[in-house]
Amino acid sequence: MALLATTTIAFKTINTQIRSRSFLPAQRHLPLSSPPPSSSFFRIVSVKAMELEQKDPMVIDENGVLKKGIAEFYDESSAIWEDIWGDHMHHGFYPPDSTISLSDHRAAQIRMIEQALRFASIPLAEDERKWPKKIVDVGCGIGGSSRYLSEKFGATAIGITLSPIQAQRANALAAAQGLANKVSFQVADALDQPFPDGQFDLVWSMESGEHMPDKAKFVSELARVAAPGATIIIVTWCHRDLGPDEESLKPWEEKHLKKICDAFYLPAWCSTADYVKLLESLSLQDIKSEDWSPYVAPFWPAVIRSALSWKGLTSLLRSGLKTIKGALAMPLMIEGFKKDLIKFAIITCRKPE
Amino acid sequence: MRLLTHNMLSSNIKGVEKGFPLRIEAEKVVEKPVEMNADFLRKMFEKVEWKAFVEASRSMGYAQLPEEVDSGMLESDEFLSRFHHALLELHLEEGALVCPETGRRFPVNKGIPNMLLHEDEV
Repeated sequence: MALLATTTIAFKTINTQIRSRSFLPAQRHLPLSSPPPSSSFFRIVSVKAMELEQKDPMVIDENGVLKKGIAEFYDESSAIWEDIWGDHMHHGFYPPDSTISLSDHRAAQIRMIEQALRFASIPLAEDERKWPKKIVDVGCGIGGSSRYLSEKFGATAIGITLSPIQAQRANALAAAQGLANKVSFQVADALDQPFPDGQFDLVWSMESGEHMPDKAKFVSELARVAAPGATIIIVTWCHRDLGPDEESLKPWEEKHLKKICDAFYLPAWCSTADYVKLLESLSLQDIKSEDWSPYVAPFWPAVIRSALSWKGLTSLLRSGLKTIKGALAMPLMIEGFKKDLIKFAIITCRKPE
Repeated sequence: MRLLTHNMLSSNIKGVEKGFPLRIEAEKVVEKPVEMNADFLRKMFEKVEWKAFVEASRSMGYAQLPEEVDSGMLESDEFLSRFHHALLELHLEEGALVCPETGRRFPVNKGIPNMLLHEDEV
């Protein structure tokens, strides 16, 4: 039932978008026939989803099941993402007033990494001695950030992910790029990181925090593996901060987030303020946070465009239920941002010396 | 998994006081030559836990590392080449990393350690 509701919302949203022509796919060199109109896209895709769901009913109610779901989601969908978008599995950063081309998404994803480093005041070219030398990438995907940061700083980077397929692919890419001696990837849980205390000068979590069912444990592990003086950078999806007399989000907001949670294997969301409180409780210093939602606005429409392309559509139909359900939930992200419910947040801090 | 990585991993099972270093059970070790970078080696020398490294290297079948080291040895090409070989050219493809306190085995498959804990270890 949840799937039908998701499909209907997705379908309605896409239809509205089509009518306002805000994201029709660009007509590039398509093979023999062009992609079907998006209404039939959703018909085709949701029929396929319903077929698959008969065989694989999905429930998220415990952490073990959640972790398995996350691993399987990324085992299933990483290759498609990489095929269409490349090896960075995070939002691009799009400065609103600039003249930078909005269609160069890979450049935008790299800009996101650079902006995050700058926000955290990681020293740049001037002082190599202050560069991070040992980096951990928590929730590393197929290792895009690890490889980029390792190359930039000449540092070692170690990435952890729940998905064995991602770890394998990440290692293969590192080998192909001649970085295998500096960068490695393992299957491990961010809530129980397999490292002794104080190992890393840069603790990096780029869009993985939203998967963590226990935010307090997640943050305390980030702090534990950080060396004295290390920088911690968290870029993640949050819900809006609660007002002074609010105990919780409004019912429609909870419902909206729940639909996204089901599709993307997310546990309950928290706010940016919640993260700041957690970092404060661990006596971390220089805590800074900012709402970067305005800078990621072009991202989800671009992802949807790519899903509606011939390549995107055919890949989706060949993929599994989990990937399809994820794809159907994308308009929910756009709606969430538009209604100021979903925030794209950066939170950084330093571990005391 | 290279020994550079092994040197950073520890057992995080609840209640374990000393989860480092993990013992290595080597079922399949592969040697993959890679170009040596002396600067990188000198940087890494500061960070490597040497005793754990020598022991791990022995478990992987390479016993040519000195037990005790000092930074003066970095001037020796012979030493650098052995350090390089053990740190970066030996790969544990299949086997396990074993918690020194509990004996729990973390499997290594296709070169990737699986460090996920079971429900009762958390």
